[in-house]
Amino acid sequence: MTVYLFQALNGVGLGMIYFLIAAGLSIVFGLLHFVNFAHGAFYMLGAYFCLQALRMGLDFWTALWLVPLVVGGLALLLERVLVRRTYRMAHMYQILITLGLGLVIQEICIIVWGTEALNVSPPESLSSVVFFGDFGYPSYRLFVISLATMLTFVLWLALEKTRLGALLRAGSQSVEMVALLGVNVSVLFAFAFAFSAGLAAVGGVLAAPLRGAEPFMAQEALSIAFVAVVIGGMGRYSGALVASILIGLTQSLMSSLWPMGANLMIFAAAAAILVFRPNGLMGRV
Amino acid sequence: MNHILNGPVTRVALCSGLALVLLPLVTGSASMSIEIVVFATAVLGANLLLGFTGLMSFAQGAFFGVGAYVAGLLRVEVDAGMLAVIVASGLAGAVASAVVGWISIRRQGIYFVMLTLAFAQLFYFLAYAFPGITGGENGLQGVSRPSLALGPFEIAPVTSNTGYYIFAASLFLILSMAVARVIHSPFGQVLLAIRENERRASATGYDVRVFKIIAFAIAGALAGIAGALQAMFVGLASISNVEILMSQEILMMSIIGGANSLAGALVGSGFVVAVSSVLSTWWPRWLLLLGLILMVVVLYFPGGLVGAARSLVARLKSGRPAPSSKGGLR
Repeated sequence: MTVYLFQALNGVGLGMIYFLIAAGLSIVFGLLHFVNFAHGAFYMLGAYFCLQALRMGLDFWTALWLVPLVVGGLALLLERVLVRRTYRMAHMYQILITLGLGLVIQEICIIVWGTEALNVSPPESLSSVVFFGDFGYPSYRLFVISLATMLTFVLWLALEKTRLGALLRAGSQSVEMVALLGVNVSVLFAFAFAFSAGLAAVGGVLAAPLRGAEPFMAQEALSIAFVAVVIGGMGRYSGALVASILIGLTQSLMSSLWPMGANLMIFAAAAAILVFRPNGLMGRV
Repeated sequence: MNHILNGPVTRVALCSGLALVLLPLVTGSASMSIEIVVFATAVLGANLLLGFTGLMSFAQGAFFGVGAYVAGLLRVEVDAGMLAVIVASGLAGAVASAVVGWISIRRQGIYFVMLTLAFAQLFYFLAYAFPGITGGENGLQGVSRPSLALGPFEIAPVTSNTGYYIFAASLFLILSMAVARVIHSPFGQVLLAIRENERRASATGYDVRVFKIIAFAIAGALAGIAGALQAMFVGLASISNVEILMSQEILMMSIIGGANSLAGALVGSGFVVAVSSVLSTWWPRWLLLLGLILMVVVLYFPGGLVGAARSLVARLKSGRPAPSSKGGLR
């Protein structure tokens, strides 16, 4: 039984990381009305930059705030020089340009770090095991769950209670209206793009000690985030959160029941849900 | 009869036929020509969906893989004949595609695109989870080419690459004529109407969903046939055929060639296959360049290579810069 509790906790941690990725995807979609196919690449960069930071002698705690800033900065640059040029085009072109961008980032990562999966060790202070009675659980995984939960709460507060959050929400209702109110929408777009990339990078840094860094994690994370937002109902953070945790739980529990089919179950369940609830679990009809 | 002789189908037959005759001479290699024709067959379907119906599917690789596995199973297990393999893999691709289409089109726009990508992953993990059927990571090995026979009479030998190219190219020619016929039929006109304005098409009284599902089925059949051709060409139905990268490559070929032209299928496939086979000999990371090419095409030639060529011709004809209609997607 403790095996399942262990796996369930793992699943929650994994799900919270998926939510950080899905939330960024949702923010960009809400405001810019396009899906960033390079979003998984920013998550992957988070993991690789974390690895690189540790190799360069920085500690994990520095990497945890520095890497998302660097990735966010990179995303800002890419938004300014590349992505913004597609805003006036049909949405398909935005998908394609970010698809190309994602491929380029993936290939650059392979050139720099190779195709092999690389391990990242958790910080020294979190490499122990915490015991609850006779149930032991790695402290790093507990840290991931609590930090991601905290970030989710902060994100919710920021979206609901701050002026910036209000602008993001208003922008997802009507960009024209926000622009008419005198807000520089172009800056808002750039911020949203960079912020969501930074959020994905946080997920990447947190995931690195759990799953290492490898060049195909971008594709995997992207498709899982897609499932989370489609199942949860796009633009609904609560839906995406529930869906992300369900995905994490499924993946984690199945990996002890039927390892070969762990990922299959996620996508099969997603398909089944959409057959019966085309608008997602919490989507409005 | 006359309108068929002068019509778009004949034009496609003549253009593609000429291109297919020249292709082996230009590439100087039967195997590269085969690869180009194989992928062009799949891209034909992607173009029908993307360029003529406005549906961007990230799942074409999945149907390509279904075709490859069906061909592999039929060859390895029951030693089926060529026509049976082609028909069965086309049917399997069509059925798989119709099911994916049926579920995916419940959502529109971006959600639809994301769903097709999720389905592509579903098919990959299906192939991965059932190694008893698909051979898992080793794939189905020893997929030989059957002789092209009608009953007891052998029509043509396809064991040599030259023979196989002639077979694959003829099949591609027939299929592209069929797609041209579909596009210029009343059915195809409804697809165009859906691409232009789905609500209006729906308001006109067409059941848009049925049209989309049929378009999906046709595209899936083409991808499935392409997968079967590929499996019999390399002798292997590999799990890499159902990877998401396969779907992306088919889509990139479609965009680079020009999604809203049938000629774009051959051009896009030819360009990508030629570039990747030239580059991959001296640089394993040629995908980087393909990603860059994709971005350049999207930014500067939204109509793909065919669209760019068309506007160049238009400019030369009129002697002044062509209007901004680059023939992009909607």
